[in-house]
Amino acid sequence: MSKNEINTNINIKDLNLWYGEKHALKDISLDIPEKSVTALIGPSGCGKSTFLRCLNRMNDLVKSCRIGGEVLVDDENIYDKDVDVVDLRKKVGMVFQKPNPFPMSIYDNIAYGPKIHGCSKSETKKRVHKALEDAALMGEVQDRLGDPAFSLSGGQQQRLCIARTLAVKPEILLFDEPCSALDPISTSKIEDLILELKKDYTIVIVTHNMQQAARISDHTAFFLHGEIIEFGRTKHIFEDPQVKSTEDYITGRFG
Amino acid sequence: MVREIFSQRLEDLRSEILEMGELSQKMLVNSVQALEHLDLELAKNVIEMDSIVDDLEYDVEKATVHLLALQQPMAKDLRLITASYKIAIDLERMSDFAVNIAELVSKIEGEHVIPLAEINTIASITQMMMENSMKAYAENDAELAKATAEEDSQVDRLFYSTWQKLVNLMIEDAALIPNAVDLIFVLRYLERIADHACNICEGVVYIATNQRVNLN
Repeated sequence: MSKNEINTNINIKDLNLWYGEKHALKDISLDIPEKSVTALIGPSGCGKSTFLRCLNRMNDLVKSCRIGGEVLVDDENIYDKDVDVVDLRKKVGMVFQKPNPFPMSIYDNIAYGPKIHGCSKSETKKRVHKALEDAALMGEVQDRLGDPAFSLSGGQQQRLCIARTLAVKPEILLFDEPCSALDPISTSKIEDLILELKKDYTIVIVTHNMQQAARISDHTAFFLHGEIIEFGRTKHIFEDPQVKSTEDYITGRFG
Repeated sequence: MVREIFSQRLEDLRSEILEMGELSQKMLVNSVQALEHLDLELAKNVIEMDSIVDDLEYDVEKATVHLLALQQPMAKDLRLITASYKIAIDLERMSDFAVNIAELVSKIEGEHVIPLAEINTIASITQMMMENSMKAYAENDAELAKATAEEDSQVDRLFYSTWQKLVNLMIEDAALIPNAVDLIFVLRYLERIADHACNICEGVVYIATNQRVNLN
């Protein structure tokens, strides 16, 4: 492999998606670099969240949804009939817009995943501690692991959700606007965390915050009307986009 | 049109730069004219104009900080803002050189003992470079910017040949030294103004194409 080539572990080929009659994703082909952050930007309804949900088959839950094309994760098409969706979602974790802790203790929130995947008590404990460390939450909760998760602040709850995802040892992390409900301090903690996590995980993030995309991502894809208009290194997309609609969008003149 | 206020602020910034450009050009033309005719009144007028350019530079600096802090500009907007701020600094320096030329007028006693033909030629090329660099900025024209900067080599050639001529005159006749030294300073100021015009041209190319070029 030459120096300039980038390893990719998510490869999308001619992906099309319909919600009933609505053609929501059109011929998407994209190779997502591993162990780096890829940001998906675009106006509301452009298909970026739909696309993100395709990467761990969350759209399977939508009845009218039809999908064509391939999504290869580590060279395996995740839409093949024999793919175990539970295993897939263990490998491809997801963090949502609003923190959604389970109504149980901080410890049990994180232990939940390892337990249902059959981990022993001692292994579960190890994973909970590691996940809390990796999610930069341990320092704030180590004396209160038995407290209800809802006693945490919004930013802490979101990091708890990230810790919960990490505890099942995923390879890929999907973030769907993870900071949109958080204040600037919590946002910057999550951003720092994402930059730390990319050393070990492939991260794909949907964000409406253009500055956030510029700050934390290595690559950016601009979506519009269900298509990828432009994909490239974040520096290039934000400094010198090649397509006019990308420029119009990032300079706020879209409309 | 969305972001109307932002677009208006960018337009205001451009207008201020163009105004600075017009004033600096006028100061250059008047300073050279004041020098040629030893017109103390005109020279004084040039010196007084300097504070207007200084104020405009300060306004551009404030506008730049506000735009960066409050509007989070990207892509071509970001290039326009950062390059405009640098251009304002160049224009302010250019007007300072015009002031330096104007200040020499009162030092020259009696009349010129050395013909000013070469100085006037350099001044008109420099003034044209200034005018075209601002035209390139106004029209976002990278090609005009590049062509304008090419004129700098002509200024440099004339600078060295005239400088040599003045040195020779001083060697031949010591009585010419005070006047010749003043003119050497004028030469240097004009040559520096042309260099700053090249910097402006580099800024225009960057705004228009995102390319960093060295035109000096």
